Amino acid sequence: MKTEGVGAGRWTAPEAAPARRPVRWSWLLYLVLALVSLPFLLPLLWLFVSAFKSTSAIFGSPFDLKVSALTMTNFAQVFADYPFARQYFNSLYIAALVVPLTAAMAATAGYAFARLQFPGRDLVFILSLLAMMVPSELTAVPQFVLFSRLGLTNSHLPVIVLQIFSATGAFAVFLMRQHFITLPRELEDAGRVDGLGTLGVFWFILLPLSRPALATAAIFAVLNSWNDYFNPLIYLSREGLLTLPLALQRFTDPLGGVYWNLTLAAGVLVALPVLLAFMLAQRQFIESLAASGTKG
Amino acid sequence: MTSGTRPPRPGLGRRVLNRRGREGWAGWLLVAPYVLGMLIFVIGPLVAVLGVSLTQWSLLDAPRWVGLGNYARLATDPAFGRSAAVTGVFTLGILAINISVALALASLLNVRLRGIGLFRTLIFSPVVMPVVAWALIWKFLLQPEGPVNSGLAGLGFGGANLLFDPATALWAVILIEVLKAVGLNTVIFLSALQGVPPELHEAARLDGASPWQAFWRITLPLISPTFFLVFIVTLIGALKLFTPVYVLTGGGPADATTTLILYMFKQGFQFFEFGYASAVATVLFVAVLGLTLAQWALRRRLVFYED
Repeated sequence: MKTEGVGAGRWTAPEAAPARRPVRWSWLLYLVLALVSLPFLLPLLWLFVSAFKSTSAIFGSPFDLKVSALTMTNFAQVFADYPFARQYFNSLYIAALVVPLTAAMAATAGYAFARLQFPGRDLVFILSLLAMMVPSELTAVPQFVLFSRLGLTNSHLPVIVLQIFSATGAFAVFLMRQHFITLPRELEDAGRVDGLGTLGVFWFILLPLSRPALATAAIFAVLNSWNDYFNPLIYLSREGLLTLPLALQRFTDPLGGVYWNLTLAAGVLVALPVLLAFMLAQRQFIESLAASGTKG
Repeated sequence: MTSGTRPPRPGLGRRVLNRRGREGWAGWLLVAPYVLGMLIFVIGPLVAVLGVSLTQWSLLDAPRWVGLGNYARLATDPAFGRSAAVTGVFTLGILAINISVALALASLLNVRLRGIGLFRTLIFSPVVMPVVAWALIWKFLLQPEGPVNSGLAGLGFGGANLLFDPATALWAVILIEVLKAVGLNTVIFLSALQGVPPELHEAARLDGASPWQAFWRITLPLISPTFFLVFIVTLIGALKLFTPVYVLTGGGPADATTTLILYMFKQGFQFFEFGYASAVATVLFVAVLGLTLAQWALRRRLVFYED
């Protein structure tokens, strides 16, 4: 892992920035860093250990990280006694629809806003900035009226559609527009000379150059779709239709008491794909997030 | 901002003109899915919220026009006043703690040290944790007889029950949320800090400035565009924050954590008072809009741009 930081490499010129701290103090710095990281690390660590423990072990000694007491039965039970596989599939396929659709919408609309002239363009773009500011929760009532009139409650359609046309979707369009603006005109002209039309220039020349921006938009779409709680809470009530964030709260006895061993095992299964993806792509991921914040 | 109209190039007149015509079609075609979706699912509902807020409506019967009745009711509804106050504390608490902690962490992580990347990753990792999983971990840890409260009892704070005590529940939720989300602002600040030329700090040090003075006079002005962006995004994010509060406390105990967005949800989707819920949503929307506009106005005066 490189250590010079997530952003642009201003630190790379050693003569401009000599080692700022004497080495003998670095152990103190490590100590401070370790202490500061604990509240971020411990809950995760605890989740991953407890998921493999029996209920009595979770409650008996919550911070006991002994390996000998670990078991897989929680995971087996989650799948055997609950429609968890079905719920997992629901979340997966919803994300698998939301992400490419959001990316396609953001790429085409972003390209048109950035590179094409058409009447009403700037007005529409400003309206979409407004849409980006509106917390989508605030429009829940009319949206619910709309979907219930169409008989679409207790279906995944509202969850999918509202995720695409959310503030996240508007942000993705904004991001792609900012990106397309930075690409040089000459690329486009070269494509025109070679006989490409508007769509050809977009598809063969500009889009292949947009992978990093598109990846950023996709990352946001994945996280938001995977975490969406509000819309499923409103639209979905049947057990088999639920998505993971809601399903996590269904490991309860008839009186509402929580089966913590099952909840934590399921929590691991929900967190694992995102954490793995993050670990694999963390450098690009953090860079793209940082860039989206500093270019504002 | 806009790509602008290019001056027509001699000799290409007819072709450019043709292209313009086709571009108009192509442009509209390409934005159509997005624009239609926004109109139907965002802008339309936004207008409709205003309309619904003027009615009494349970969705089972026809909406009954009540004019500004819902707003008059809001003005005298102690539960609304209370949730507005909770929202104020909640939002300001998150804003103050998140931003100051993020700045401190970013400064701490902005050192040249072997393995610093590991610490950056650790502090960022809760950001990618699913919200509900994170909230459920803390719900367990903060149970009445759970590890945190027993730990506090061991330190002499017997009977502490952080998440279920009206005096502490809101702050417990705030801290859990900050711990989850602060890594994002930290990374954004870190990247801004790394854009500050080290020469400026060198020069300041030679001129005898203390690190504290250098931070206020050099670093902060230089990162002020980022600071403002983080400020407004965190502010609006906190105003609409629903999931962690709902999962951790459901608004309790004794409504101590019922924010405006939770109050809207309860009125609408639990009590089927859709008109009243829409009035709450409208108030919240006006607040978000006002804060955003104020931010744009302030930005000109407070943000320092390098050129």
